[in-house]
Amino acid sequence: MEIGPILRALWHNKLGAMLIAVQIAVTMTVIINAIFIINERSRLMARPSGLEEANLFHLTSVGYGDDFNEQVTSDDDLNMLRQLPGVVNATAVNAIPVSGSGSSTGVRIDMDDRTANVGTAIYRVDEQVFDTLGLNFIAGEGFDVTDMRYRSSAGTTDADKVVMTEALAAILFPDLTPNEVIGETLYTDQVTALQIVGIVERLQAPWPSWENVESSVLIPEQFLDTYSLYVVRTEPGQRDQVMRAAEDLLAGSGADRVIRGVNSLEQTRSETYGADSALSSILKTVVVTLVFINSMGIVGLAVFSINKRRKQIGTRRALGASKFEILRYFLLENLLITTVGVLVGAVLTIALSIVLTTNFNMPAMAWYYAPLGALALIAIGQLAALGPSVRATTITPATATRTV
Amino acid sequence: MLQMNNVSKVFRTDTVQTSALKDFSLTVDEGEFVTITGPSGCGKTTFLNIAGLLETYTSGTYLLDGVDVSQLGDFQRARLRNEKIGFIFQSFNLMPDLNLFDNVDVPLRYRGMKASERKPLIENALESVGLASRMKHLPAQLSGGQQQRVAIARALVGSPLFLLADEPTGNLDSNTALGVMELLQEINDKGTTIIMVTHDQLLAKQSQRNIHILDGRISTGDQAEALAPAAEVA
Repeated sequence: MEIGPILRALWHNKLGAMLIAVQIAVTMTVIINAIFIINERSRLMARPSGLEEANLFHLTSVGYGDDFNEQVTSDDDLNMLRQLPGVVNATAVNAIPVSGSGSSTGVRIDMDDRTANVGTAIYRVDEQVFDTLGLNFIAGEGFDVTDMRYRSSAGTTDADKVVMTEALAAILFPDLTPNEVIGETLYTDQVTALQIVGIVERLQAPWPSWENVESSVLIPEQFLDTYSLYVVRTEPGQRDQVMRAAEDLLAGSGADRVIRGVNSLEQTRSETYGADSALSSILKTVVVTLVFINSMGIVGLAVFSINKRRKQIGTRRALGASKFEILRYFLLENLLITTVGVLVGAVLTIALSIVLTTNFNMPAMAWYYAPLGALALIAIGQLAALGPSVRATTITPATATRTV
Repeated sequence: MLQMNNVSKVFRTDTVQTSALKDFSLTVDEGEFVTITGPSGCGKTTFLNIAGLLETYTSGTYLLDGVDVSQLGDFQRARLRNEKIGFIFQSFNLMPDLNLFDNVDVPLRYRGMKASERKPLIENALESVGLASRMKHLPAQLSGGQQQRVAIARALVGSPLFLLADEPTGNLDSNTALGVMELLQEINDKGTTIIMVTHDQLLAKQSQRNIHILDGRISTGDQAEALAPAAEVA
């Protein structure tokens, strides 16, 4: 191997090699952090919401007029929706998970210690919500119709039961099993005492980027106002046609109201994660572009370097180098330049990651990103240099005796 | 040692066919100092390329140290070049980014020798051309004559069967050329066979035998005869 002479030769003619090494280092720094961000976003987007999203849609009814009766309209709407062909169940809620819009509150187990409040999403629901959303109980049970309480301008009766997610139970009762949590009392910000009757495996909050996104409580309580939000679960494969039928059904029911916001849960998720998805797409484009530019830089340097050294290559062949030894020389030279680039790049990658973690509240990059990125860039570099290096082997030894 | 019988070399393009060597026959024995002369385009370099296994030939036979080279593949020809032939080029052909030590080291590396075996050979070769003290210098830091001496050291370092020199003094002034020629004579006196292509009739006269080429063939006319006494001078 000719590592020593190659390094010494590069040292005497270092500008081109240094530029490529710097390009590789910068490329590595950007693409490794970009790939980490892409993966992090993908992981966030892939988290299950706890719902059977493929078969769910939601729609909003907004009443108007003096004769509009909120409770009657809501009960009638839910009855009509449940009888619609293709519908499994329907429920009224105050917010849609992963929609970006909803309510939160603080909950604690010690009534007097407000400092122990844990932030959680609060869903005000009816007793059909568990079946409609497809929530999975790991302890206890849901509500029945007698548990329902209503809030309106005429008066308010507070609910006294609650179902929470497993993640919230683990925060509030770290030493208890889910079954042991059933029957315990929970206090809200408003010092309402709620008896815990059930724990569901998962129900995400409406805000995906919230740190407490896995903490949610469900309370059997409804606001009686002109605004009603319904979630409908359909038979598999019938969601889209049922969506249209449900909209027509409610719009033609004769009540003084408008129907709007008819969307599948998948649409809602897509809109909520739109910025993340767009960022991922932009970063993927940046990664591909940088890898391409980097590869072209290596190809360019290799082609330039080989064209400049045609006579040297011919001389080496005349002095006894085989074609393989010429190929090995140029691949080794490229490997050394790339290795310097990725070593500098690894330091810069970690430094940028620390900056992002410190200043932008991003999670720390896993240790294996830098070495895997370095190996990938070395492989890409060798592939880029392979074509020009193979061309170098076609330079004949007789080139050594040519004067032009 | 080197035996060519009726060797021909034809260069073909789609429309043109050029015979660079025609039925060229030559035998060079061990220890000889042979010069090849002739006008530009006569086939001197083609002969040198074929003799040095830098190029293949179209017909005829060429035995190098008893080996029929027509049967060899690219790899075997490279090995044979490395082990049997030392090249000296008109433009020296040193690697500009390598110091003298690394330049002389090039052919030995292709021989697969260990660093500990190569080092004394390189030092001896540079010593023999009077440049041992400058082995860390780059070629650009040397004069033309010194660069050619480095090239001679590189050609000699692997103890080849013979040296092929292509206009070794062509890029040097007359005084420096004389010095290089004296060095080549010394090398020949120590037993190394030398085949040298040159334009310079005075240098050709210093060799033991001169071969004059005209139109791809060995000339038997006045030119060769005029140089014949040169063998006695040498």
